Amino acid sequence: MNDTVLKFENVHKSFGPAHIIRDVDLDVHRGERHAVIGPNGAGKSTLFHLCSGQFAPSSGRILLDGEQISGLRPAEVNRRGLARSFQITNIFPGITVHENLRLAVMRKHGLQFSFWRFAGRLSAVNAEVEDLLDRLRLTARAGTLANQLSYSEQRSLEIGMTLASDPKLILLDEPMAGMSQEETDYTADLIREITRGRTLLIVEHDMSVVFALADRISVLVYGEIIATGTPEEIRANAQVKEAYLGEEVAA
Amino acid sequence: MKAKIFLVAIAVAVLVALPWLVSTPLLNAAVQMLIAALFAMAFSFLCGRAGMLSFGHAAYFGIGAFAAVHAMNAFGGAGLLPTPLLPLVGAGTGLLGGLIAGYFATKRTGVYFAMITLALAELLHALAPHLKGTFGGEAGISSFRMPAWGFTFGSVTEVYFLTLAWVLLCIGLLWLLGLTPLGRLALGLRENGHRLRFLGYNVHALSTLVFAVSAMFAGVAGALQSLNIEAANYVVLEAHVSTSVVLNSFIGGVRVFLGPAIGGAAMTFFGYITADLTRVWLLYQGIIFVLVMMFLPRGLVGELVERFSGGERRSGGTALLDGGWRLAGFAMAAAGCVFLVEFLQRFLSTGYRATATGENWPPIELMGFDWSPGSPLTWLLPAALLAAGLWLLGAANKRAAAQQEALA
Repeated sequence: MNDTVLKFENVHKSFGPAHIIRDVDLDVHRGERHAVIGPNGAGKSTLFHLCSGQFAPSSGRILLDGEQISGLRPAEVNRRGLARSFQITNIFPGITVHENLRLAVMRKHGLQFSFWRFAGRLSAVNAEVEDLLDRLRLTARAGTLANQLSYSEQRSLEIGMTLASDPKLILLDEPMAGMSQEETDYTADLIREITRGRTLLIVEHDMSVVFALADRISVLVYGEIIATGTPEEIRANAQVKEAYLGEEVAA
Repeated sequence: MKAKIFLVAIAVAVLVALPWLVSTPLLNAAVQMLIAALFAMAFSFLCGRAGMLSFGHAAYFGIGAFAAVHAMNAFGGAGLLPTPLLPLVGAGTGLLGGLIAGYFATKRTGVYFAMITLALAELLHALAPHLKGTFGGEAGISSFRMPAWGFTFGSVTEVYFLTLAWVLLCIGLLWLLGLTPLGRLALGLRENGHRLRFLGYNVHALSTLVFAVSAMFAGVAGALQSLNIEAANYVVLEAHVSTSVVLNSFIGGVRVFLGPAIGGAAMTFFGYITADLTRVWLLYQGIIFVLVMMFLPRGLVGELVERFSGGERRSGGTALLDGGWRLAGFAMAAAGCVFLVEFLQRFLSTGYRATATGENWPPIELMGFDWSPGSPLTWLLPAALLAAGLWLLGAANKRAAAQQEALA
């Protein structure tokens, strides 16, 4: 059964004369880990910006569980169940790790303007934060300011913040960017572990990670999806080899 | 934590006992200090906690002040509310003004936000003299505190306690507010509004609400001022009111909870004691601000908290000794600087120019002595004081740094 969570329909995005995304059609199935790969400047990040509400598409539609989300504002997209991380670490640097996660969790509990309850006494929220800390292996760092964390810990924290709202779909934008091999392995493990049973759309440059992690892969070149398929299919695809992978994976 | 509660308890006890400890003029100054403290706390809820630097907080202070005066004069002078409850009027109008202004101002961030707040405040300031009915024109509006609840509110002491009660209540509320989801989200606004958006929060509504809360407490401070001086004049809307609260808050330290209150109170106190001694208080205020920003960027209270919360590794004795040397150096440099400033101020004043004719430069009286502008001593003394003070400061800092290094 191919139950589609996220659907791109003929999505096009141009900035003035520059066509960044050209007529993209893409289905992300429920429960799969779907990776988008492509050379630099292919439009991978733009694709993420389009479905997370940062930009609106020039034409076409993006549907989340059958509801149109293209053109909505980021906060509205998030509330419909799509959460994302960013290519460049995007956390709350000057407050503690615990507080970072609490801000991420509170929204789901409808706590935004409430000034009549104490955040420290919201037991449901705090239990979820503790649980997240545990799964992110950051419990020992709960009281540390986020800007004092190591780079890979910051990336873990950001992945945790994406998870906090219990979304239908998680977008991770190059979660391993700038990491050492060791950190990459660690983070890949973490992602596999904490996104179990969830739907994941990920952009990543590290091919070994992508091929090991993803159930399906889409290849984006110059704003067009030239192939979508299982890692084996992508590896075998002549067009992909020519356009992008070259010898790196074929070898 | 226990030490903090203890310190706060002592401070409150001293504040409550103050009317029996100080003279009436000083108690009057204390009322103004309390008001300045609350105003700075209100401003810092927005600036320190939520990271939005407003250059127009005089507007909400002023709105509260005028609303209170009108409320005092309502019903032929009987008052809209009993006197002790009048600050509520300031709170209500401040909140309303903050909601409206905040809605527009928080559509932008950073410099643009600051410019919008400045423009809105200046708009009100420019408009005020023309709206005689509301702002009383050049003369302002005066009123009278009505007796209520068995108090006449005729003495400074009663006004002091009324102000103290409101200021403590408001500061307490601001503290509690910091612990609520709204208060925590305000920190998120400061740290990364963009991320909040992608976590599903309505950042604009959130910013507007934080702005309005800040304006509400500024309105209470304004109302307390009206109650204190039994009048309001459109000068409370002037830009220097907006800038003072910025300077005071940063001098105290906007990121530590009571920093702004202490900054506001201290600067008001300095202003009060130097009012008769100097005509250039604003210059000193500016110098203090620049020095604090350069050498103690966390503010006076912020640096103290930092020192006591583990930044300092040396033993109390050596640290205290260095503190003493620093203080001595600072005092000498300050004395030299004040001498120069005061001498130049008198030397360059039009009054002195009128007495100086041709080659005849009469001596200038300063600190009980006559100083001739032509004498080298007049210039060498402050210069030497300044140089020696700075040298002492530098030496003490070097010693402290070397000891820290050795211990690290």
